[in-house]
Amino acid sequence: MEAPPVTVMPVTGGTINMMEYLLQGSVLDHSLDSLLHRLRGLCDNMEPESFADHEMVYLLKGQQGNPFLLRARRSLDRPASPWHLRYLGQPEVGDKSRHALVRNCVDVAASQSLPDFLNEMGFRMDHEFVAKGHMFRKGALKVVVCKLFRMLVPGNTESIEALSLSYLVELSVLAPAGQDTVSEDMRSFAEQLKPLVHLEKIDPKRHM
Amino acid sequence: MGVTCVCQVPVVEGKSVQQTVEMLHRKLEQLGAVKQGSFCVDCETYHAGAMGTTGQPTKFLYVMHNSEMPLSCFALFEGGPCLVADPNFDVLMIKLKGHFQNAKGNKVESRGTRFQYCDFLVKVGTITMGSSARGISVEVEYCPCGVPNDCWNLMKEFMQGFLGPHTPELPMVFTAKPDGIYSPSDCSDTMAQYLELFGKVRKQQVAIGSSMR
Amino acid sequence: MADVMSVGVNLEAFSQAISAIQALRSSVTRVFDSLKDGMKNKETLEGREKVFITEFQDNLQSVNRDLNELERLSNLVGRPSESHPLHNSGLLSLDPVQDKTPLYSQLLQAYKWSNKLQYHAGLASSLLNQQSLKRSANQMGASAKRRPKVQPTTLVLPPQYVDDVISRIGRMFPDMTIELSRPNGTSAVLLVTLGKVLKAIVVMRSLFIDRTIVRAFNENVYSEDGKLDIWSKSNYQVFQKVTDHATTALLHYQLPQMPDVVVRSFMTWLRSYIKLFQTPCQRCGKFLQDGLPPTWRDFRTLEAFHDTCRQ
Repeated sequence: MEAPPVTVMPVTGGTINMMEYLLQGSVLDHSLDSLLHRLRGLCDNMEPESFADHEMVYLLKGQQGNPFLLRARRSLDRPASPWHLRYLGQPEVGDKSRHALVRNCVDVAASQSLPDFLNEMGFRMDHEFVAKGHMFRKGALKVVVCKLFRMLVPGNTESIEALSLSYLVELSVLAPAGQDTVSEDMRSFAEQLKPLVHLEKIDPKRHM
Repeated sequence: MGVTCVCQVPVVEGKSVQQTVEMLHRKLEQLGAVKQGSFCVDCETYHAGAMGTTGQPTKFLYVMHNSEMPLSCFALFEGGPCLVADPNFDVLMIKLKGHFQNAKGNKVESRGTRFQYCDFLVKVGTITMGSSARGISVEVEYCPCGVPNDCWNLMKEFMQGFLGPHTPELPMVFTAKPDGIYSPSDCSDTMAQYLELFGKVRKQQVAIGSSMR
Repeated sequence: MADVMSVGVNLEAFSQAISAIQALRSSVTRVFDSLKDGMKNKETLEGREKVFITEFQDNLQSVNRDLNELERLSNLVGRPSESHPLHNSGLLSLDPVQDKTPLYSQLLQAYKWSNKLQYHAGLASSLLNQQSLKRSANQMGASAKRRPKVQPTTLVLPPQYVDDVISRIGRMFPDMTIELSRPNGTSAVLLVTLGKVLKAIVVMRSLFIDRTIVRAFNENVYSEDGKLDIWSKSNYQVFQKVTDHATTALLHYQLPQMPDVVVRSFMTWLRSYIKLFQTPCQRCGKFLQDGLPPTWRDFRTLEAFHDTCRQ
């Protein structure tokens, strides 16, 4: 055997305190093509990546008030790739100087045993949906244009029904806490999409 | 990766942990094994303390790391499912501290030297909990083979060469799946064996005494 | 001039024949000349035609005469001597400028060499045949019936035939899967997966095995660009050893007339590695020697031995 000697001690900790900056909007189905066309021109020179994901939202209810929420996502196109587990903190919307919604974010890549494991931890699935769409990048900016589908039979990603006649558009950046300059970049990018889609910072709590 | 067997080697009577480890090193080197750096396996215990009101027994969640897989993090329940994740899982556990408390005093780790002999990897480690040495772990991996049942007799013969009467039996994790291919890319079976070993060590009294340190 | 004459009467006939040919050609030319010129200007129309026809008849008659003469002469000339072993190239010996171009002597030498070569090759082939028959007598019995079917030129077999042979072998061994691909042209590359023990890459040229490399079941067989990696060796010593032994097996199983039997024998031998980690050595009874399991498999009995225990 010719494996190199391992002297590295385990890395513990991961990347601490990452924030997600987010702007959201939506377009009607019939104007999707013109938006995609515009994004193709604005974003990094690459073919837009299309995806079909199945997302399950898990809740862990404790004694104190708010339940703990985790999102587990898997790709339907690439069943061999790892699952994506995501924690999102409470959004900070109040600050008027920031142009985007900011919230704490932890992304974990995990093995296929994730649903079993979450169940064992005490999490229970709250709801699930399927998202299909396209992903664009421009530097650190990520643009996702996707349609959300309701699942008619729990657990069956085949029988699905569109939630609405429009596409969700999300512009997001992941950055360490305190780097508020990224929200400037996001705003100027959002300006360039203006007539087609209005990206705004939307407080999810107001719609609950 | 290949088939792995983790076992505990008792401390020789009248000797310290350190001296027993050195004897094992000498035996391995006589066999022709070559030292190749060091290794570390650690295990943190979390208990779902905040929800223990309903009278259920407290559940333990273990989060482990292995220097052989430095960019992975393993989360296990005793006898339950094993999750392999990236190191961000540690950050997630901090976020979850309202539901899962880290029992800091229960952190167990095994550190030691890594040997290579032909296609075998041997890791002799000292198990410590808190600041006291609790025992010796030996991990043997036969890398070219992925099916435990196929190469178990061969591994046993190898281990008899330096462990003598302390050679273990086929680990429990494999008896559950007699013919299946042994997890090829992650090492959850190895981690389950370490977890079992650490569990044994945690329960045993500090019998060997803290004189080693 | 005198010695040229002494070669034989033939030569005189030759020169006469050549002048006869010249005469024939000129008379034929005359025929066409007169045809081309057409009728000459005369007083009356009948006169013109008459003169033209007589002229044409005269010309044809002279052609006929010359042709007869040539035929007569050609009989005199006779055939070139066919008894010469070098056929027409034997006439090179007539070339008077021997010293400048020693073509003839070189030709004779080459001829002798090629004769000898053919003779020795014949002997060697018959000897080799006996040898290979002895070595794999057990396989011979089974395939004796198929023998006449084998094409004489085994280096150029249709890909379809190779595919058939390989898929037939694949069906023989249920614990062995063989994937055939042709990454470069017509030569096939086989990826043989044996149980959960090993993967072997076998590079073929037609039905001959050119090269083989064996790796662990959990090792990569594809390089980064997604092609079969036929070069890099296994990371594990045990499979490096098995690769060496497999190469030895390629040299052992040789039967030039029946390459399909060779491939089948090789695969049968390779299949005996299904219990690579489970079989102790048949001589010393142990699993390990120098950290390696018994990597050698006997070519006839397929028994497992350590490399050093096999003698």
